[in-house]
Amino acid sequence: MDELLAEFIAETRETLEPLAGEIVAWEATPADRARLDAIFRFVHTVKGSCGFLDLPRLERLSHAAENALAEVRDGARTPDRTLVSAVLAIIDRIGELVEALAAGEAYPEDGDEGLILALDHVDLVEETAPSSAPVMPHPAPTPRAPARSIRLPVELLDRMMAGVSDMVLARNELSRRLREQGGDAMVDAAFERLSTCVAEMRESITRTRMQRIDGLFSALPRMVRDLSAELSKQVHLVIDGGDVELDREMIEMIRDPLTHIVRNAIDHGIEEPSARQSAGKPVSGTLRVDARQSGNQILIEVADDGRGIDDEKLVARAITAGIITRERATTMTRNERLELVFAAGLSTAREVTAISGRGVGMDVVRANVERIGGTVEVDTQVGRGCRLTLRVPMTLTIIPALTFSVGTELFAIPRAAIDEIVRSRGGSVEVETVGSAPVARIRGERVPVVDLGRLLGLDTSERFRAILVVVRASSGERYALAVDSVQDHEELVVKPAAPAIMATGVYAGTTLPDNGRPMLLINPAGVAHVAGVRAPDAALPARSNDNAEDVAETVPTLLFRAVDGAVRAIRLSLVERIEDVAAGSVARAGGRLRLSHDGRILPLFGCEEVVPDKHGRIRVLLLGDGENEIAYAINEVIDIHDLSPEMVPAAEPGPVAGVMLVDGIQVELIDCFWLFGQAGTLIGPGERPLCLLDKSDPWMRDVLRPIVEQAGYRVAYDGESGEAVPAVTILSAERAPEHPPAPGARVVRLRATADETLSSAGSIYRYDRHGLIAALAAAQGRS
Amino acid sequence: MEALKLIARIADQQVAISADTVESVVEVEAITPVPLAAPHIAGLAALRSRVLTIIDSYAALEIGRSPREGILQAIVVTIDNHLYGLLVDEVVDVAAIVGDPEPVHAGLSRGWAHAALGLVEHEDHALLLLDPARIVAGSSALAA
Repeated sequence: MDELLAEFIAETRETLEPLAGEIVAWEATPADRARLDAIFRFVHTVKGSCGFLDLPRLERLSHAAENALAEVRDGARTPDRTLVSAVLAIIDRIGELVEALAAGEAYPEDGDEGLILALDHVDLVEETAPSSAPVMPHPAPTPRAPARSIRLPVELLDRMMAGVSDMVLARNELSRRLREQGGDAMVDAAFERLSTCVAEMRESITRTRMQRIDGLFSALPRMVRDLSAELSKQVHLVIDGGDVELDREMIEMIRDPLTHIVRNAIDHGIEEPSARQSAGKPVSGTLRVDARQSGNQILIEVADDGRGIDDEKLVARAITAGIITRERATTMTRNERLELVFAAGLSTAREVTAISGRGVGMDVVRANVERIGGTVEVDTQVGRGCRLTLRVPMTLTIIPALTFSVGTELFAIPRAAIDEIVRSRGGSVEVETVGSAPVARIRGERVPVVDLGRLLGLDTSERFRAILVVVRASSGERYALAVDSVQDHEELVVKPAAPAIMATGVYAGTTLPDNGRPMLLINPAGVAHVAGVRAPDAALPARSNDNAEDVAETVPTLLFRAVDGAVRAIRLSLVERIEDVAAGSVARAGGRLRLSHDGRILPLFGCEEVVPDKHGRIRVLLLGDGENEIAYAINEVIDIHDLSPEMVPAAEPGPVAGVMLVDGIQVELIDCFWLFGQAGTLIGPGERPLCLLDKSDPWMRDVLRPIVEQAGYRVAYDGESGEAVPAVTILSAERAPEHPPAPGARVVRLRATADETLSSAGSIYRYDRHGLIAALAAAQGRS
Repeated sequence: MEALKLIARIADQQVAISADTVESVVEVEAITPVPLAAPHIAGLAALRSRVLTIIDSYAALEIGRSPREGILQAIVVTIDNHLYGLLVDEVVDVAAIVGDPEPVHAGLSRGWAHAALGLVEHEDHALLLLDPARIVAGSSALAA
């Protein structure tokens, strides 16, 4: 709120200065309409801001002046010298009050009434203000507090930015010339100093354009308070992500849409306390406003736990309003129905209120957001709440990017979208062709490959590109971009490209790197769309939530024949490579078999009983958990199967986790956790914090457990932990636990789908390894 | 009405462009191509620290492709806050041309007709007055 006040003071001071001239001019010619309008606007603005900032004295003064001036504007009153004097006295008083505010001092209370009365009681003014002495604006008697900030037009910042960018290019040119001409140490040193200055200056000027989104959020608490009081509702506002930085112009552009969405949520979303109580909800509604960066976009979510949007009602209203036909309504998907929220002239509020609900709004919100290249999405559950997600581009902002080459051209891609970069000729990554589409297998996971050269028509040869940049688009698709070489990590100033370029859909903007040659920024979601890569979730057939649990879950599993001839299985995700090594490199050392391979010594399993012939070669699976590596000797690889995670657990912990049935044959599943545990028994199980898993969830048992254990936890299943208090409990977001966690226990909820829905809000996507590890690490830190 | 017009040559034709829409005339060396964009988008070039979208005027007028050898001249215009460079063979002159443009009665080919605002008279020659915004929109705007 202090920030708003400072802004108000700065703005008022700023307008008062030029107004001084207007006032003098108006005094000379009170009939001058333009002067009158300027003064009217000033008092009107002050009045508006004061109401907002809770400054009743200023509000009363400006309100009185505004009333008098409005009468003059309407022709109900002729401006005479006394009126002019009275208005000027009020403006002076506003100036003095504002200075007192700025200095944090109290201003004597008396006198306001007299000034206001003077506007109406002409006589009083005649007595107190001698007409021979014109009232002039004069400097405030109190010494002005030094201004800590100044206001600048954004255009000036733009010019500064352009100037510095020009300077960088000139510096680069100079640097090239200096290199060509050979070194003079003195010149080089001076040039270095210049370079540093330029770089620093560039950084600070760049930062002038960036603003924390805090500035936008800081007005919300007051607004929510006032609105909820006005509507007799109780609203608890939760704001998160205020430190996300966004171009200040972008902040201005989303101010109105955000305000509107928040108003809507309180007006239409959150119910009256009595209605909430009878619906079994907390009396106070929760409004969550959250900003975060996602790839080259900023996501701003406004979620309430109110009544939600009833899409049936929405459709009914749309039909009544003539927006859609009855026939169309029957074929609409749920999403399409919800999209009707954004249709012009449609409001679901039963009654038009002063706050919102006039049917103008959401369509305007969407139009405004789309104008800056953003999108608005709505997600809702009747009775549970509603969430609106604004996605706005970070264009005009600085983004960390990776530059890479395809053919002779350079492109950039937002670093946030990159999962990893792999070399496709490396041992662990294979690219195979499925039909016409190349698919890479990266650690057992199949990832569609998009050959950017071919997609963009830059290089149509069948030549194989060596480097795969695995990206995850903001829309959820995961794929690998095949590129020729990776150049550099750079911070780039991205600007929107011309409409004809944006129309291709594959670019997010243009940038000018230091070499002075423009470069295009790739839009990962757009490339996925153009290349026809679909998000894994979208590719699944539509299904209702009821039978979601029935869909069989499979884990890619490698079947192999062990050294002793038995068929065994291992979860593919842990297999990094399969290699043939000389049996001579196996030795029994330190009480166990070890393999020396590639300059490392790896614990070797799988051939304890059958020690290999010293002169032959043995085939080993190299297993990695991200940190440690172990080897497992095998005879041969049989096949890779997608198998159900179900198995009959082994009676005792050991190298075999359990037995499962594959094509009618019993197969032992290797317990990788046990193996890794054997390999590095640094931490005794007693010292590890306890993590409770849901026993009834096979995915947790088979897939999650090793990850949790790697994170340094001891795993127990709920109901089996005995007296020990778990440091953390992991639950599925989709299913109710058999044993509800103790109150106050730290709980991590995992959901099965990549996208967060209302019902799974606050959960982590279960394959979001980083998110999970971070949550586990956080729990450990607390315990 | 008297106004300054920039006179340039495109495909052996002298054309006029209203000078008040023109920001400058620059020489363009390196053009970064923009794959998948419409044919009249020749690519990107840097104008100091700003990025110019270079328009292939030939393609926009549906008369082939602009020559791309050596140093190219481009007319810089700002349309909807985006900076464009229209490739021309040569900028000939800046001249004050008197009179309003007259409607073109000759049967122009589709590309020219789309970009032309009318005819203006200069040194006893009739010149087509072109609208930079329509050149920037390109002939693909016709198909839409």
